Order: sequence, then C-alpha cells, then structure tokens
Amino acid sequence: MTGEPIVDVTDLQVHFRVRRGLVGYQTVRAVDGVSFTIAAGQTLGLAGESGSGKSTVARSLVRINQPTGGSIRVGGTETARLRGQDLRAYRRRMQMVYQDPYDSLDPRMSVLEAIGEGLAVRGMARAQRRAATEDLLRRVNLPVSLTSRYPGQLSGGQRQRVSIARALAVSPEVIVCDEAVAALDVSIRAQVLNLLKDIQADAGVSYLFISHDLSTLRFMADQVAIMYVGRLVEYGTSSQVFGQPQHPYTKALVAAVPEITATGRTGRTRLTGEPPNPADPPPGCPFHPRCAVAIDICKTLRPTLRRKVGGQFAACHVAPDEAPAVSSQGATPGTPGAEPGPAIGTPSSSEVSA
Amino acid sequence: MVAVEHLTVAFPARTGGGEVVRDVSFAVNPGERIGLVGESGSGKSMTARAIMQLIPKPGRVASGRVMLLGTELGADPKVAASSWRGTTLSMITQDPLSSLNPLVRIGTQMTEMLRFHRGLGRAAATARARELLASVGIPDPARTLSQFPAVLSGGMRQRVALAIAVSCEPRLLIADEPTTALDVTIQAQVLDLLERLTAEQGSAVLLISHDLGVVASFCDRLMVMYGGRIVESGPTAQIIGAPAHPYTRALMASVPSMTGDLPDRLASIPGSPPAGGVWSTGCAFMPRCPIARAVCATVDPALLTLSGAAEPAAGDGAASQGAADQGAADQGAADQGAADQGAADQGTGTDEAVQHAAACHASQNESWGRAA
Repeated sequence: MTGEPIVDVTDLQVHFRVRRGLVGYQTVRAVDGVSFTIAAGQTLGLAGESGSGKSTVARSLVRINQPTGGSIRVGGTETARLRGQDLRAYRRRMQMVYQDPYDSLDPRMSVLEAIGEGLAVRGMARAQRRAATEDLLRRVNLPVSLTSRYPGQLSGGQRQRVSIARALAVSPEVIVCDEAVAALDVSIRAQVLNLLKDIQADAGVSYLFISHDLSTLRFMADQVAIMYVGRLVEYGTSSQVFGQPQHPYTKALVAAVPEITATGRTGRTRLTGEPPNPADPPPGCPFHPRCAVAIDICKTLRPTLRRKVGGQFAACHVAPDEAPAVSSQGATPGTPGAEPGPAIGTPSSSEVSA
Repeated sequence: MVAVEHLTVAFPARTGGGEVVRDVSFAVNPGERIGLVGESGSGKSMTARAIMQLIPKPGRVASGRVMLLGTELGADPKVAASSWRGTTLSMITQDPLSSLNPLVRIGTQMTEMLRFHRGLGRAAATARARELLASVGIPDPARTLSQFPAVLSGGMRQRVALAIAVSCEPRLLIADEPTTALDVTIQAQVLDLLERLTAEQGSAVLLISHDLGVVASFCDRLMVMYGGRIVESGPTAQIIGAPAHPYTRALMASVPSMTGDLPDRLASIPGSPPAGGVWSTGCAFMPRCPIARAVCATVDPALLTLSGAAEPAAGDGAASQGAADQGAADQGAADQGAADQGAADQGTGTDEAVQHAAACHASQNESWGRAA
C-alpha cells in the first residue's frame, strides 16, 4: 500500500428510474453508496453475483453510466460530472476491457484500425501509428503480422489481447477489467492474467478487476471488495478477505469455489436462495434471507461497513468488530477516512455479541 | 450400460471441419458419475451430442458407435430416437433458455414428457410436474408451471431443465456445462441438486465442463479431452493426485488456488488450443507441450494404462481392433472397449473401466501397459 490513491470513490450512487406499471416509475438503486480507493499501480478486485452492481460500478467509472450521487476522484480531480471535452480527456486516463471481445471489437475494423483509433485520440500522426501499433502488439505478446487481421480471424485469446492493446494505446492510468478473462479457456486465461500483471509491473497502471471467480481475484488483487445488492459488504486486503472472511456472504462465496481436489463436495457450507432483485431488496440487511447467522436486528437495520477483527471492513451486525484499542493488524486498505461513517451503525453494535 | 466405442465425429472438410472427435471410447456404469474436461474445441460437447444422436448437420459419426444397454443407437431406423431420448438418456445444457421452448409454458413442457413417455393423464402429469418442481427447490411450483421460461432466473431455469431431465428417471443424465452460466453460489446449489436427484434415481451422470474444479469435486472418474481425443482418464483421485499427461498437469497448474502461497505468475500453456478438426499427424498437444520429443510430431500416442499389470493387448493401435470389432458384435472379445462394457453390465470387475490411463510418449515409461 504505497502512495496516494489514484482512484478515490466516495459514496457512489447509480440509481436508475425504470417504468413500473402504466404510469409509475421506480428507482432501482443499482449502486447505493459504494466507497473504495485504488492506489497507483495496485489492483482492486471486485466480486459479487449477477445483479450486485459490480458492472455498474465499472461502467460509472468510465462514465458509460452517469453517477447519480457521490464522487469519483481520479488523480485528485473530481470526475463524476465531467462533460464534453473534459470527459473525453478523462477517458484517456481510464480505459475498460470487457468480457466479450467479440462484442467489444468492431468486426469491420482491422487490428491496426482498432488500436490506431486510440493512438489517433492521443494525437499521433497516421504515419507513426503503424509502428506504435506493432509496439503495442509486442507488449501483449501478439505477432505484429496480425495488424491487418479482422476480429473474426482471431482466436478469443488473441482478441482479448487486442482489446488490452487498444486500452493501452492511450496510456491510461487505470484499466477497468470487467470479467476480462471469464470468456477465455483455462489455459488462455492464465496467459492473459500473467500479461495483465506484467503490464502493471511495466507501466504502473492500476486495475479495477471485476470477476465472479474468487481464485482469479486472489491471484490478481491487492485489495478486494465484495458487493451485494448495490453495496460493499466486505472490503480489505486480499489476504484479509480471503484468509479470514468476516461477512457470512463472503464466507459462503469462498466456500463455494470449486477447488481442484478429489475430496468430493460434502461438508461445504451452502448458501440457499438467490440474490434478491435489486429493484426490490429485502429490508434491513439485504443478505438476511439467505444468511445462516442472521439475528433479529438484521431484518430491520441495514448494517454499515465497520472494521472487523481481521482488520478489514465488513457490513454485518453479527461479525465481531475489531476491539477499539487494538491496531496490531496494521494498515487497512485504502484510506479509512473515505469509508462512509463507520460510526453510523453504532446503536446496533452493543446488542451484538458473538 | 452406455458404451462409446471408437467414436469419430467428422465434419466435411469444405465446412472447415475435419474430425472433431477422434477414436473416443469409454463406458458408463450404472449410477456412476463421470466427468469430461476440456477446453473449447476439444470435442467434449460433440461427444455428448453423438451419444444423444444429435450431431448437427453436416457432421456425422464417421466411425465407431454408441451402445445403450447392448443395442447400438441409431442402427435400426425403425427404432425412434424418442424411445430412449429423454427417457433412458437425457441431457441438460449450459443455457436452458436454448433448450426450453420460450413460447410454451413450463407446465406444458413438463407434462408433455410425462404424458408421452409415462402415459400419465393430464391431471396426474400436472401433479407429478408440481412434485418435480418442488423437489428441485422451485419455491412456488404451481405458479411456475403457468409461467414462460424467460421470466425465471438462470438458476431457476436450470432447475426446471433438471426437473424435466430427471422426470423419466434416466439411466444416464448428460450435463453439458450445466453451471457455467450461473453464479458461484447458485452453481453449488445446482450441483448439489444434480448429485441428490441422480443418487435418488440411481442415474449415472456424465458431467461435461471446462472447469476441472467442478468436475473433480463431483465425479468418481475423469476423462480429459484435448484435440478431439481422450488424453487421460481414470479415477479422480489418481488423476488429481498424480496427473500423467502434461496437458492435465498444465491445466491444474494454470488455475489459481484459494489456499496456500500465491505464485507471482501462473503456470500457463503457451499457444492456443487447436481450432478443431484439423490435426497434424502427431500428438495434438505437441505444439504446446513443454516435454515434447521428436516422436510426438509424427506418431499420435495411444491411450495406455499406467499400471502395466494386465496382459498386453494383441496389437497396438486401434486399426487391428477395428477389424476384430466387425466380427465380435456383442462380446467384443478382442475389443477392449466392449470388454469393459460387458464387465460393467454384470456390475462386476469395474477395475478395467477405472484404470488410470494417459496418451503421451514423453511421460510414458516401461510400467505403462496395454491400450485402454
């Protein structure tokens, strides 16, 4: 954990108005008060099930979705409400690699055109773009002979490398990877993950790395945030969150990872039920209907992120808080001050033991 | 019970095809859980579709056959596929949206099966469908019966597909990437359900997945496919404990673990999986193999058992066996695949079926035995 955060998101809200019935509208709180920081050259892993809002966080960072509240500071500059020229300039600093390179690359643009577009945005003259494109292809371990190919002529792994090269073309400070390796074969996935790490080591780029695959996150991320129905339920360093998960949801996610063992599937803790509809989340803690350790207060009062015994933050009434005096766990992810008021939930904590 | 014998599936060369499944043999014993692991283009789904006799045109079974309870599937044109498909053998796929009819209510799709195959009346079929939906954990079965597939979540759709697949108590359920599209917690639920339902009915399961973790935790026995061939097979514990094929080893090493120390880099396999259908003469994995030798480029290795205790098979390759196959229709004395099946049918001597075997020149040593 070194240096100033390059990305500092505070209380981010992305609410959508959706039609409900004939005349009514309803607000869907896809992202509802999310705060995190990403340090320069580091990776924040973001996990959650479908509908948890993790892709909406990604899309609001690159401003595909307009945040309805909160702030996104990148390199000290508030970016949540940028428009026009400023927004275009901002997008050079923040790039995105999508899950499906079949969809995210224009099938009628050659590799040279797709990557050259980014170089042109940077103001590079046409004559120099070919050489620069070849450089980028080398950086993502692709043969330069691919410049004249079209996406349809590339394999999935090659296509994803082209997407990464295209993101790198504008020399961004942050790359948002939204399930960037989920569609790749296992053997190719490892290549691309290694490549992303190499690029980070070389260029000092930061990643917001979104994946439903916790073992991939454990490999990639310095910090990890677990999202459930629009909010973070656990946030800490990778070793804190995966080594000693505090939130029952994180525990269940970790337990559900199919590890390569021949020991069978018995004795695992199982989560029942499905993630709630974000348009109609349960009252109190949105996880309580699926939670094995829920107590009465969970049904009425939504817990806030508080520092727990492992040193990480978790939003759970039941998980024990860190003892106030003890700070032996050392540094915590990001800047604790950026967390939305750890004190808000105080009345509840006294009722909770165990 | 089900035996796949020297199955080769080919597509015409002009469609960019070739042999997408090559000389695949295995037997499924009653109640067994077998896993088939491979990357895209490895031929795992096409193997499943060949068993169901559902190879998309213009593909065809170029050689080999699929035996179901001693009868060759598709051999007798007078036997309609509907006499076994969906009943004795059934299948669920990755996305039930594509296997469920989007325009037909779930109740209709479920009762259709029960009325046609089980001869139930309308009321009895509806009652049974409701029971089935309850048994797969659908919260409101009566309401779900009147709904269309699109209104259900992915997890719920897969539960419905599973309910339909087990409604006629199949002897073998083929599950082709059943949890790939699902969230990890829902994946665990669906696998639990698959385990429970098939155990209750005594159905065997052929679980197909790209995810070695999913398959290893679910199956007694694994088969690893690469380039249209089975490159390693055997009991799960033996393959996971001591993988013999370099591809299996690389596959295991390229998945990050949730426990233990983290490597700086993942072990990765250079290159890409072969595009499918077009093979060089040697081992399909050779171009990516860290331990390849000269012979790997020219001779495709045979699948050999790792413990050479058993007597060596007459002849080496499949060619001599293919000839013998013609004569020995049922007993298949000269044909190892059929012999395995014969033993399995009597519910004894499954030793042969679960031998650890691999196809690799470089890893092979003198203890490797006869063709598996």
